[in-house]
Amino acid sequence: MSSPFPKLGLRAWIVVLLLVILAAAFILSLTLGSVRIPPEQVWRILTGGEPDKASWADVIFKFRLPKAITALLVGAALSAAGLQMQTLFRNPLADPFILGVSSGASLGVALVILGTGAGSASAFIAGLNTFGDLSLALAASLGAGTVLGAVLLVSRRVQNTVTLLILGLMFGYLTNAVVSLLIYFSQPERVQVFSLWASGSFGGVTWNQMRVFAPVAVAGLFIGFVMIKPLNALLLGDDYARSLGLNVRRARFWIILSASILAGVSTAFCGPIWFIGVAVPHVARTLLNTADHRALLPASMLMGASFALVADVIAQSPGSQYVLPLNVVMSLFGVPVILWVILRQRQLRFS
Amino acid sequence: MLRKTLILIVLIALLAACAPQTTPEVDFAPTEIPATEAPVAVAPEHNLTDGCVAEGEYDASIDYFPEKATLAQTENFSIEYFNNYKVVTIATPYPGAAESVEYVLVQCGTPAPDGFLDEQIIEVPVQTIVTMSTSYLPFLDELGLLDRLVGLDDATYVSNTTVLKMAEEGKLTMLGYGSGVNVEKALELAPDLIMTYGSGAPDYDAHPVLIEAGLKVALNAEWMDTSPLGRAEWGKFIAAFFNKEADAEALFAEKARKYEELKALAAGVTEKPTVFTGSAYQGTWNVPGGNSFAAAFLKDAGADYLWADDTSTGSLPLAFEAVFEKAKDADYWVNVGFFFTLADVLTADARYADFAAYKNGNVWNNDAKTSPAGGNDYYESAVAHPEIVLADLIKIFHPDLLPDHELVYYRQLK
Repeated sequence: MSSPFPKLGLRAWIVVLLLVILAAAFILSLTLGSVRIPPEQVWRILTGGEPDKASWADVIFKFRLPKAITALLVGAALSAAGLQMQTLFRNPLADPFILGVSSGASLGVALVILGTGAGSASAFIAGLNTFGDLSLALAASLGAGTVLGAVLLVSRRVQNTVTLLILGLMFGYLTNAVVSLLIYFSQPERVQVFSLWASGSFGGVTWNQMRVFAPVAVAGLFIGFVMIKPLNALLLGDDYARSLGLNVRRARFWIILSASILAGVSTAFCGPIWFIGVAVPHVARTLLNTADHRALLPASMLMGASFALVADVIAQSPGSQYVLPLNVVMSLFGVPVILWVILRQRQLRFS
Repeated sequence: MLRKTLILIVLIALLAACAPQTTPEVDFAPTEIPATEAPVAVAPEHNLTDGCVAEGEYDASIDYFPEKATLAQTENFSIEYFNNYKVVTIATPYPGAAESVEYVLVQCGTPAPDGFLDEQIIEVPVQTIVTMSTSYLPFLDELGLLDRLVGLDDATYVSNTTVLKMAEEGKLTMLGYGSGVNVEKALELAPDLIMTYGSGAPDYDAHPVLIEAGLKVALNAEWMDTSPLGRAEWGKFIAAFFNKEADAEALFAEKARKYEELKALAAGVTEKPTVFTGSAYQGTWNVPGGNSFAAAFLKDAGADYLWADDTSTGSLPLAFEAVFEKAKDADYWVNVGFFFTLADVLTADARYADFAAYKNGNVWNNDAKTSPAGGNDYYESAVAHPEIVLADLIKIFHPDLLPDHELVYYRQLK
């Protein structure tokens, strides 16, 4: 399929604008937070100087910087994954977790937090500390990976993409049911710990975890980029894509793999983060007025990254010490923005 | 006609003759004291801790509870005594409760008062009890009531050796916890009382389903009390159900005396070390508020809790960076959470190494008395012994004040 680039000049300008917005959001995320640090101090710290208070340098480098990078990567990852899922299933409501990947991750974490594990609590706790801060992420990844494996296995045998969608939904329901069962039989205190995980957070990723998190996220994004042409082909339907010479089954496999890695690694390290995966691709589509993934994928990633950074800044409620749950902030502040974008464009089209 | 009237009159006369007669009044000579052999109710000298008032012996003018509890420390519950029943009122039975809850503890063998729901009426002394929190066990133990324990929610985290033995010997029935409590087993067991707590989320609690099944349930809100002595005073709440107020009063008085002594000792220090507690989870650090239970202990032990000025009684969800900024140079780090060694702390998050308390090895955890199954006795027997916890903390912050005390619930992380 050789559709012409949608107005190359406009696209490059948009990319630059998005990069500027992203940079601004990134700097905002470093500057604003629970601890009040004057902006010129932040600049001084970032350029290698000595701040007035030694602890501020630690706050920037050990807390805010990894958090900002995490938000950036997760925002990009989830938007890319959401876009891929929306195209693959030709469903505007599809989100990165539609194949039950997030439910699988929740199940892994629920088993660790809520399940009594292999007997005694001390064994469970000892096991938890063996991998340290990677243990929860490991459990989540195993859970997500299991669901992913099941879905991929099935995807090779299933002709119809809609069947795959339904199967993914079913896997999701099944794992959610098991999680609910675990919650039902658990002590209220443990349920609270689990729901803390489930409310999502970028602040839990340390530099140590970043060594695992960042490469995996980037790998997933890379696969996504490679899949741009197949994604464009799939826009016209499986049969037409096949007639263009696309191996639909193989393309589906890699698209699902990319989206699931991105969704899985985000959930594993930050908990389930709703909203970004569904909303951002639509904003990108509306603002760019295109369906070409060559424009949409990078745009979604950049917009998603900025959105995640801004949401995190709001969640940290700068000035007050308290931290708001991330998912709550996403929906509360994200929904009006998205509505405004989409409805505004609608009016333009009719005029 | 006349014959019918006559028969009617005869019948009426017969009926009148058979009508209940009033007891003939026996005229006692004023100077004679009648010696009677019929049982007459005598006011008991002690509460009836075992058994009921015998049939026909009930006298409404007698006070069946000569031994009463007086509450000094806790504000959340009160006991009002009447002749044959006590009304125990919990002002806030669970977080977010709209109204208080009242339990009417009726001396068994005596009639229950009117004006209360059936579920509020509990016959005392209770003969069989199921507990759904390990924190009630130490009180039952010190009151000598463990033989009346017939069930638990779960025996996994119990530290009390007697209870563990009872569970091993199969003497206790496990009912499970939360909304998944096994109601059928509970009905089969038919205990006189099930003591549990409300978490604030009734959907996850056990008591609504148990009450609906017709079982007698008492909510215990000791976990919400923010004062260490207040929490220990809930032993009197438990004792009230067994008429053992006398023992409970004596035990508590001794603990309160020791506690106040220790508190006065610590109050005299000139230098108060700074301290912070807890750890971060997913970037959020839940810090106990200034008026919380944990903060009260730290204050009484002569330490400067960094969030002492805060007025919250619960915990504050703070950003890790905010806690870091404030507590970076603090002297002590206590109640750290699920860590066994200093290395574990670092594995969980490398950023903990930047805290001065960590660098100096002044990291202390309240899990020294943990059972092999993972049950931490700090959440069990320490509830009944705030004076020991206070001694531990004073030993940590001001070792020279208590040179002979050995730590019971606390240990230093190595």
